[in-house]
Amino acid sequence: MAVKFFGQFLVEKGVVSREILLQAIELQESVNLSFGATALAMGILTDGDIEKVHNAQRSEDLRFGDMAVKLGLLTNDQMLEVLARQKSTHLYIGEALVKVGGLQAEELPRYLDEFKADQAQYATDTVTIPAGITEPKFWEMVIDLSYKMLTRVALLVFRPEPTFVADRLPPMNVYAAMDFTGDISGRYLMGVTAATRAKIARAILKESNVDDEPREVLDDTVMEFVNVALGNIAAKAAQSGKALEIAPPEIFEAPAEIPVPAGHKALCFPVCLSDGDRLELAVFIKE
Amino acid sequence: MKKVLIVDDSISVARQLEKILGDSGEFQVVGHGKNGMEAIRMHQTEHPDIICMDMNMPGMDGLTALRTLVALDKNVKVVMITSLGGVGDKFTEALRLGARTVISKPFEADNILQILREI
Repeated sequence: MAVKFFGQFLVEKGVVSREILLQAIELQESVNLSFGATALAMGILTDGDIEKVHNAQRSEDLRFGDMAVKLGLLTNDQMLEVLARQKSTHLYIGEALVKVGGLQAEELPRYLDEFKADQAQYATDTVTIPAGITEPKFWEMVIDLSYKMLTRVALLVFRPEPTFVADRLPPMNVYAAMDFTGDISGRYLMGVTAATRAKIARAILKESNVDDEPREVLDDTVMEFVNVALGNIAAKAAQSGKALEIAPPEIFEAPAEIPVPAGHKALCFPVCLSDGDRLELAVFIKE
Repeated sequence: MKKVLIVDDSISVARQLEKILGDSGEFQVVGHGKNGMEAIRMHQTEHPDIICMDMNMPGMDGLTALRTLVALDKNVKVVMITSLGGVGDKFTEALRLGARTVISKPFEADNILQILREI
């Protein structure tokens, strides 16, 4: 029911043991070399060149290959050759599991098909991202996965509204928020009315009536929803090579508008619920 | 009946797990810790057979607590239940530190029960 990677899917199905998966991951780590190590093995960079690139990366956020080209250590064609070598020698986890004896080679296509079918529900649909937002594919995934989680975890029926950039968020009964850092940094926020909070609580707690639940429990269900959504976003981001660390969720009341912090841009993607209530979803993107 | 300690900063997750485990009649929830420090303390006082623990918690996080729990008791059975389960690096780190498995949120009752029965 969540975003997974292939090895995890096989462990959960009981197809391979954790010990075998760890062996396969260790094999992958020994075979799948970094860009620098691949260029070193190809004899087109030296240890000294690699150190120069690493030093330069401390003051400028560029990928290794791009930095090596910028420093004049590699030509653009050489960079593409290294990337091609990395791609052609890459050992995928399924292949690694076959090599360590955890899977039969003929079983692999079937399990890959089952995995793709399981994860198809999380494939990203098209969302229009406003102009001026960098990494639009990443935010498309964030927004689309948020909508899918609203449907599948919070059991809400809604219509997405157009996405837009704002300088403040509207007042709401409560906002749950989580900070994320890494390749992309910012703050993920969801604002709900008291009525929507009760709906989310019913879905998360699997209770038909939450009228007698204390405020603390109702708020916690909104935080847990945000935690599940952002955790799955981090998992999906990892599949495309972007690492995100997430902080524990927070909740706060918002009787007045929330200004966007300095140095951030707010990408808003609210939805209109079937009962007419509005649910605010936004990210404060660190620039 | 196997004794289970739940460690998660979310009250609602603890409520879900208590209901799933209690209704099964196979597991007894012996406590709910809200961070890694409480997991370590309650492991000593409640002697659970299985610990179901979140990763992302304020104070001491789940992976730090897992490292300490395994150092204190190499036979400890910890199942990580986390929204970060699908992040390959986190999943691998948890297994390397000694977690029996990692379950992603949102989870399904049948899946949790099957895994806890088997470990």
